[in-house]
Amino acid sequence: MRRSPIAIAGALSLAFGISACGGGSGGSNVSTASLKDTSGGAVAADCQGTPVKGGTLVYERQAETQSLDPITLRNGNGDIFATELVYNGLVRSDPTGKTDNLEPGIADKWEVSKDGKTYTFHIRPGIKFSNGQPVTAADVKFSLDRFGDPKINEVMGSVSTGYDTTTVVDDSTVKVTLKEPVAAFLYNISIFPAFIVPKNLVEKEGAAFFKHPVGTGPYMVKEFVRGSHITFERNPNYWEAGKPYLDSVRFNFAADSNSRMLAVKNGDAQIADGVPFSQINSLNADTSLKVQSAKVPLFLGMWLNHARAPLADQNVRQAMQYALNRDEINKGIFRGVGTIPNSVLPGLKYDSTNAELPPYAYDLAKAKALMAKSKFPDGFSTTLQYPAGYDYYKQLGLLMQQQYAAIGIKVKLIEEDGAEGTDRFDSRDYDMTFPYAQFTSDVVVPDEYAQFIADTRNGLHGFFSNWSDPKITKMVQEFAATPDETQRAQMWPEIQKAMLEVTPVINVMDVPYVSVHGKSVCDTAINALGADHLEDTWISATPKN
Amino acid sequence: MLVYFLRRLALAVIVLLGLTVVTFLMIHLVPGDPVQQTLGNRATPQAIAAVREQLGLNRSLPAQFWTFLSNTVTGNLGHSLTLNAPVGEIVGQRIAPSALLIGYGLLVSMVVGVPLAIIAALRPNGIVDNGIRLLTTFAFAMPSFWLGLMLALIFGLWLKWFPVSGYETGIGGILRTLTLPAITLGLSLATIVVRTLRSSLLEVLQTEYIEAARSRGLSERRVVIKHALRNAGMATVTVMSVNVGFLIGGTVVVEAVFQVPGVGSLLLQSVQRRDYELVQALALLAGAAVVLISLATDLIQAAIDPRVRLAGR
Repeated sequence: MRRSPIAIAGALSLAFGISACGGGSGGSNVSTASLKDTSGGAVAADCQGTPVKGGTLVYERQAETQSLDPITLRNGNGDIFATELVYNGLVRSDPTGKTDNLEPGIADKWEVSKDGKTYTFHIRPGIKFSNGQPVTAADVKFSLDRFGDPKINEVMGSVSTGYDTTTVVDDSTVKVTLKEPVAAFLYNISIFPAFIVPKNLVEKEGAAFFKHPVGTGPYMVKEFVRGSHITFERNPNYWEAGKPYLDSVRFNFAADSNSRMLAVKNGDAQIADGVPFSQINSLNADTSLKVQSAKVPLFLGMWLNHARAPLADQNVRQAMQYALNRDEINKGIFRGVGTIPNSVLPGLKYDSTNAELPPYAYDLAKAKALMAKSKFPDGFSTTLQYPAGYDYYKQLGLLMQQQYAAIGIKVKLIEEDGAEGTDRFDSRDYDMTFPYAQFTSDVVVPDEYAQFIADTRNGLHGFFSNWSDPKITKMVQEFAATPDETQRAQMWPEIQKAMLEVTPVINVMDVPYVSVHGKSVCDTAINALGADHLEDTWISATPKN
Repeated sequence: MLVYFLRRLALAVIVLLGLTVVTFLMIHLVPGDPVQQTLGNRATPQAIAAVREQLGLNRSLPAQFWTFLSNTVTGNLGHSLTLNAPVGEIVGQRIAPSALLIGYGLLVSMVVGVPLAIIAALRPNGIVDNGIRLLTTFAFAMPSFWLGLMLALIFGLWLKWFPVSGYETGIGGILRTLTLPAITLGLSLATIVVRTLRSSLLEVLQTEYIEAARSRGLSERRVVIKHALRNAGMATVTVMSVNVGFLIGGTVVVEAVFQVPGVGSLLLQSVQRRDYELVQALALLAGAAVVLISLATDLIQAAIDPRVRLAGR
């Protein structure tokens, strides 16, 4: 970032703008992670010309890596973003993030049976693990069986629903059988719990393997120091010819957002994630830096407990949608990087555009009319919980308290430590809550969240909201079992519309991942789920930062 | 002396045991389930139940406490759920940066505090004394996260004398990376050094033996450093030993600001994630450090000053 002396104002905003994570994206609701340069694109000049090989990228990361076992995550994105550099799945989300489509990974092609229950994958010829050993059908079977075993796949059991077994057809072909059609299956195996690991080494070394893992990803682990950093070096056997460009990548774990920003400003690091919203403007003013926002399925989901009489009233919930002045929230708190949602879920694949399905517009008169029509015309008192330690949740709570007071809803704010908040969420002991500071979908398709909320078979009580609607449940179940993409693309907008109208929960804002880059870093990419792809990344020689 | 030592040792064991009980109860009684925190909201209820069973979290609190206590006595600190590794191994990797930071912080507080205290005591209530009082109060009042950031801005970003954050090993690496954190940590303690040392120096400087030394024609420098400082220093050493706990607590914030991979940042994270075994082990270690240092201080004082051990009878 900035290398010249900082103005006092900048220093103070840096010192006081303590925050936590990124969020909120611009544009339409089409779920792509295409990077948006919020500083106006003046930086491209440094990255013109041919990519050069070599160099080290230092990346300040908010979330620490704690586990390199893709199936035994211990720290969410801290683990996910590291494993994404080391391993691949059979298929992967478009690494450029320009689309939310799937493309070949370890499998270069595949066929799906008509009933949607059998998938045949062909392993890419010549693909090797970083230690030079070829990837075989046995490795794929071993890895997918781990994915499908609830005893091993403790963290992401929900995405392996429906998995039955994998059969080795020949050395380079496997057949995966499902118990029932799972339309999102390919999306589900494109993410970390289904990454392919070498059978012989994992069997031989057990947990020790994941301290120095071997995968097919662009980088391999060189050094992992808990609580401090992880260093990756180029995988010489990587399957995309000529890539990656960088010799090494170092993730420094820095929970404190100010020290992350300082490290980039100082040139000690070239990228920092989790840019506090309050610092976006001051960082944008610095011409030696670029602030990027990437659209990912991250949202400020406010959960409503339908066991509380006022919140079970649809008129009240719709009034609460109309009473929210999201423009004011976006500009005031998120510096305009948020997107006003036309869905109760985060922005996902198959979503309608705003032209097809407009978001709730701020309309106080309509909100008041709906309150008058409800069973609580004189308003009511309620509570709103939000996670402690995030300045923007605090600001959001205060703004919403004010906006809801205008329609007679008295909101008491409760700031709660994260673990306590999720506990009360899981036991459905709340009125209104932002249960997770970072509320994201793991897959780009709506199946996961739609099923969490609406599929009553999962025993999650409407994802702890106590909401149910048999009509929507049926629509979601049919959608999740329809393998045909064209049909799904037609079915989802109907569900999206129905859910938006009923408003089981309120999506206050879609937010992007915001990161800050030194000008020398070129061709970074983030896929539609927010995972960095650094195989095309290179460092230009000119500027120092 | 031996009786005194044994009595102090017995007290230390009781304090540690009490600390263990309190920590155990506090972390178990605050809401927030460790398994839920670790496995997240996508985990199936069966997976959560299996891990709870495996960790023995479905047993009664006294039974869990007994396991913890008996394991601790045999040197087994348990297994961290969130980091998926033995607690002993994790703490072993993280203790050195914290210990060095605390030691370095203490050194900074002495190097800054002692000369200022002497200067202030020599001309009490003058402009210099008041200036020192103002400065040290200011340093004490500044929250360490803010002070740390300001130091990082000035000496890291602007002057480029030190990196803004991170940790390196080796003497050169430690000096490069731990200097700013140690100053942050040490400055607020320096205030305490200045205040206590100044007042005891003032007291000592008015005693008869100092007057006698002066009347013997010794230089003021020799009187202060050789005669007064030794006696006045006793009180400061006691206050410092009490404040080691303050330094240990201070590392939680300072380590986070400067990205020092020590036990302070580990403690914060393990409390947030409800990693019971790690929290218990870290609280016990920090408590043991404080108790041991205060024990050592008592013993040193008793050895030097017979009044201390006699008073203890």
